[in-house]
Amino acid sequence: MEDDDRCSSNNPGGIEQEEEDEDGTVLRFLDSLDSYLTLLDALSSTLRQGWFELASARHSMGSSCISSVLLDQKVRSAATTFQVGKSIDGSPSESHPSFAISKWASSRDGKCSFGEMEVSHVQKTSKNSELRHRGSSNFYDTTEEHDLRINASSTIGDGDVQKERSKSLSVFGTLVSPKLRAAQVSFETALDAIVEIANIRSSMLCAFTQLQQEMKEKGLG
Amino acid sequence: MAGRGQIRTNNSALIAMIADEDTVTGFLMAGVGNVDLRRKTNYLIVDSKTTVKAIEDAFKEFTSREDIAVVLISQYIANMIRFLVDSYNKPVPAILEIPSKDHPYDPAHDSVLSRVRYLFSAESVASGRR
Repeated sequence: MEDDDRCSSNNPGGIEQEEEDEDGTVLRFLDSLDSYLTLLDALSSTLRQGWFELASARHSMGSSCISSVLLDQKVRSAATTFQVGKSIDGSPSESHPSFAISKWASSRDGKCSFGEMEVSHVQKTSKNSELRHRGSSNFYDTTEEHDLRINASSTIGDGDVQKERSKSLSVFGTLVSPKLRAAQVSFETALDAIVEIANIRSSMLCAFTQLQQEMKEKGLG
Repeated sequence: MAGRGQIRTNNSALIAMIADEDTVTGFLMAGVGNVDLRRKTNYLIVDSKTTVKAIEDAFKEFTSREDIAVVLISQYIANMIRFLVDSYNKPVPAILEIPSKDHPYDPAHDSVLSRVRYLFSAESVASGRR
């Protein structure tokens, strides 16, 4: 015990640094947990909007015009894909996967897509220092913002992206309801949230693993 | 958990879905649908006739494919194969439980939150005090 006291008094800086690192891990974990729950709440809102718009489109176009029976089994590649990379928090041994989305990639060659712009918006919002209130879906839209997003999607996206979007809807007919297009935008927005959730999940699990190791070293786990 | 096992990087990975018709239809409109030469899809539409075995097989297939980055599964469907979902611990593909139209998201059933929940349990706090 006296030896420990001597050690701690000989190296107070090292112990303080260790405690700071632990606090940092705990904070990172708690931040990730909070972001995870907030983003899931936002995703729920976006999906609800998408389902509502899909139901409206079904009402105007007819149930038989929008059903899974029409989803043909023709060989095709996904136009929207994910990129999986490695992210390192702290030590190199604590790498975890990071995800990014590439929307309508078959029509692009390295251009910044509407989707990527959306991810940036989400990242900025998530770093906002204002208190987040779950249940109010601060990340995503009021009706006005959603309408702006629909209008933006038809103007910001270049011609090729619009072609890919139309091609994706063509399985439901040549002329589709505006509500179906709105539903498409909602589900694209949901994909942005999913990328963020995947990254936050990855970061949370990494911080959790570090905390578990620290607790084991201290004999608490 | 994160960090265990090799993380396979991939520039063009798919998102798989095990969900109800409306959810799958919506995401297919967003361009994530893929059908390969063997007519294998990256989604399973679950309805009242879908068996638990079919859901289990789809989950096992999607989680073992190297070209899939994320598996989206409606939480009420994940509850049908909870043991399988909770025992999955690879970093990629990431398993995300999402709400469905008739079943809102419940954090208490989320497999990721269940894993980390014990940090806040009375036992872990009590062991820290000893």
